[in-house]
Amino acid sequence: MSEENFERPFSADELRTLTSVLDEIIPPSVERNLPGAGEAGVAAYVDAALRKAVELRPVIVQGLADLEAQARSRFGQSFAALSKTEKGALLNEQGFIFPLMLHAYIGYYQNERVVSALGLPLRPPHPQGYEMERSDLSLLDVVRRRPKMFRTLPE
Amino acid sequence: MSEEAVDVLIIGAGASGAALAWSLADTRMNILCMEQGDWMDPAKYPGMSNDWEARQLGDFGLSPNTRGRREDYPVNDSGSPIAVSMFNAVGGSTILYAAHFPRFHPGDFKVKTLDGVADDWPIDYDLLAPYYNANARMMGVSGLAGDPAYPAKEVPLPPVTLGKVGETLARGFNRLGWHWWPSDSAITTQEYEGRAPCINAGTCLLGCGQGAKASTDITYWPEAVRRGVRVKTRCRVREITVRENGMADGVIYYDADGVERKQKAEVVVLACNGIGTPRLLLNSRSKQFPDGLANRSGLVGKNLMFHPYAMVTGVFDEPLDSYKGPTGCCIMSQEFYETDRSRGFVRGYSFEILRGFGPVSTALWGMQQGRMPWGADHHRAHSELFNHTAGMVVICEDLPEPGNSVTLDPELVDSDGIPAPKINYRLSDNSSKMLEHSVARAREVLVASGANDTIAEAPLPFAGWHLMGTARMGADPNTSVVNEWGRCHDVKNLFVIDGSVFVTSAAVNPTNTIQALALYVGDRMKKNLANLFD
Ligand SMILES: Cc1cc2nc3c(=O)[nH]c(=O)nc-3n(C[C@H](O)[C@H](O)[C@H](O)COP(=O)(O)OP(=O)(O)OC[C@H]3O[C@@H](n4cnc5c(N)ncnc54)[C@H](O)[C@@H]3O)c2cc1C
Ligand code: SF4
Repeated sequence: MSEENFERPFSADELRTLTSVLDEIIPPSVERNLPGAGEAGVAAYVDAALRKAVELRPVIVQGLADLEAQARSRFGQSFAALSKTEKGALLNEQGFIFPLMLHAYIGYYQNERVVSALGLPLRPPHPQGYEMERSDLSLLDVVRRRPKMFRTLPE
Repeated sequence: MSEEAVDVLIIGAGASGAALAWSLADTRMNILCMEQGDWMDPAKYPGMSNDWEARQLGDFGLSPNTRGRREDYPVNDSGSPIAVSMFNAVGGSTILYAAHFPRFHPGDFKVKTLDGVADDWPIDYDLLAPYYNANARMMGVSGLAGDPAYPAKEVPLPPVTLGKVGETLARGFNRLGWHWWPSDSAITTQEYEGRAPCINAGTCLLGCGQGAKASTDITYWPEAVRRGVRVKTRCRVREITVRENGMADGVIYYDADGVERKQKAEVVVLACNGIGTPRLLLNSRSKQFPDGLANRSGLVGKNLMFHPYAMVTGVFDEPLDSYKGPTGCCIMSQEFYETDRSRGFVRGYSFEILRGFGPVSTALWGMQQGRMPWGADHHRAHSELFNHTAGMVVICEDLPEPGNSVTLDPELVDSDGIPAPKINYRLSDNSSKMLEHSVARAREVLVASGANDTIAEAPLPFAGWHLMGTARMGADPNTSVVNEWGRCHDVKNLFVIDGSVFVTSAAVNPTNTIQALALYVGDRMKKNLANLFD
């Protein structure tokens, strides 16, 4: 185990488990036209991000392996094949969920499908920026009528 | 290896170093600025790419301890509830700053006279007013005349757009009869001196690729360089050296390759900010100055002031377009600025209304607040917050206390082996009471503006970005480090021009005042050139 090379990309099996976990962390929403995080391909982002997070990567790799082992020993199936309730029950017991959530959220909310579904333009903020309406400065009328507020100094 | 001596050596190319360099440039003296960072390339700022929000957790983070840039030095701030934030580059911390650009009030310079606390400054508002005006022109400040919280002042450009966020909050302030006003902002709202206007992109804290936000690499520096000032980047100064007679004679620094070098100078100016300046003075020990340079008063590194911040965010039913517009510049309120002892504390605070978060920051902030669950409820939680938050930060006046300090860490060093600064800071009773009062008032105005829920963080743990007081000015060499125009009492050819010289902190962002002071010091130096060291 200690010889394990955590720098390597996730294996196909690990990616399958991770994708399935991500779909539980952020499930799809038909009503909002939003994909699940796994379905949106956030696993690739997480894989890349974890390659820079050298301390976290082994925790997640180990966590995914343990999760698979538990799925098989408890339910006799791979994690991906479990029912929603079974997945939820298992995930609730995993310590790696919280750090994984951080990367899942970052990956998800800069994903193109998600950004479009949120009604945002598919481009970075610069150099185009955003239009804004003219300010209504008549709101200041009452403030303008106030007497001076700052203190003056004794001569 | 030693290089040709210069007339003036400025250490630090941030807000203050840039202003002074520009001011002195017309003397045609040989002026050199040494900066440990580099010129930034605005085309590469995070706002130009889709992962911009995530970069705030990476190479554009607020803390020099986590960014992993070699230009940074570490700061041991484990002894402070407020973490230090700064940036090291040509432009200094103005690369990241929000460019909220208020002035001090006349009374802010005289709190001892007015309220019997701390000390009066040896200078006053009227003296600085022309320098505030000059700085407004050089930085390109936008705002609106007529604010009853201030004496009449010059503001060259019209105010930033209020947006739905600003107007929603403005109505709340009006309902309560509280003061508010469009923020003075160092952001161009129209074409100005070759700079393009703000496009409301909302990435101000990660650098402004538009050139609308006045970081000094695009305002003062190009002008100063054109007039002959030289900037040498990737030079990290380790210590200031002194002659037998106790005058400064130059510096020892490390160049980009980490090679130790010397630079001689007739005049040395410190512009390294309220942490970097005391660090350098304390690290410049000699037989004449065994406790650190210019430290006969023992006050170098003492009286560190941060401005304790609170952040109070409202959640609204209606969408607010809140990711649009300059991040920290919208409207501000000084309803609770002046002392009212019935509140249980002295001095006061400002509210600075912020824009909301982008989708990634909404998710991460929500997670921090325990409001962004995984699973079935996730989308409801995100949609309730994203584009539906507006709020404010509170800026509390921090009073000077000797126990709040910058010292040298006995172990931690930067990549060149120079001791890192260590921060000791605790919130005073006065600050804690002020924070509590401000959070309650912030919730009140958010509810009056229509918020259905409010979320408060106080003190804001990452908001140590105003660095003041650690080499204070004064007339008496026993109770101050520099005189009223920034010259060290103990070393007459050594000047300090950054926020270290602040006697008190007021309850507004400091950079406009830091730069006005630097311009004033520049004028005094020019007037006294013949007898600068008398
Ligand atoms: C996130 C953020 C938001 C902010 N928002 C606002 C705002 O809205 N309004 C406002 O007024 N202020 C704001 N500030 C504060 C503002 O940036 C500072 O007040 C201002 O930049 C201080 O100017 P300075 O010249 O004292 O120091 P800095 O601008 O910090 O510059 C100091 C320079 O000195 C260099 N230096 C230090 N030590 C050495 C050494 N040993 N050798 C060589 N070079 C050295 C550094 O690399 C740095 O470039 C903000 C700051 C941050 C970080
Ligand atoms: S909002 Fe304006 S000032 Fe801020 S980064 Fe965008 S263009 Fe620059």
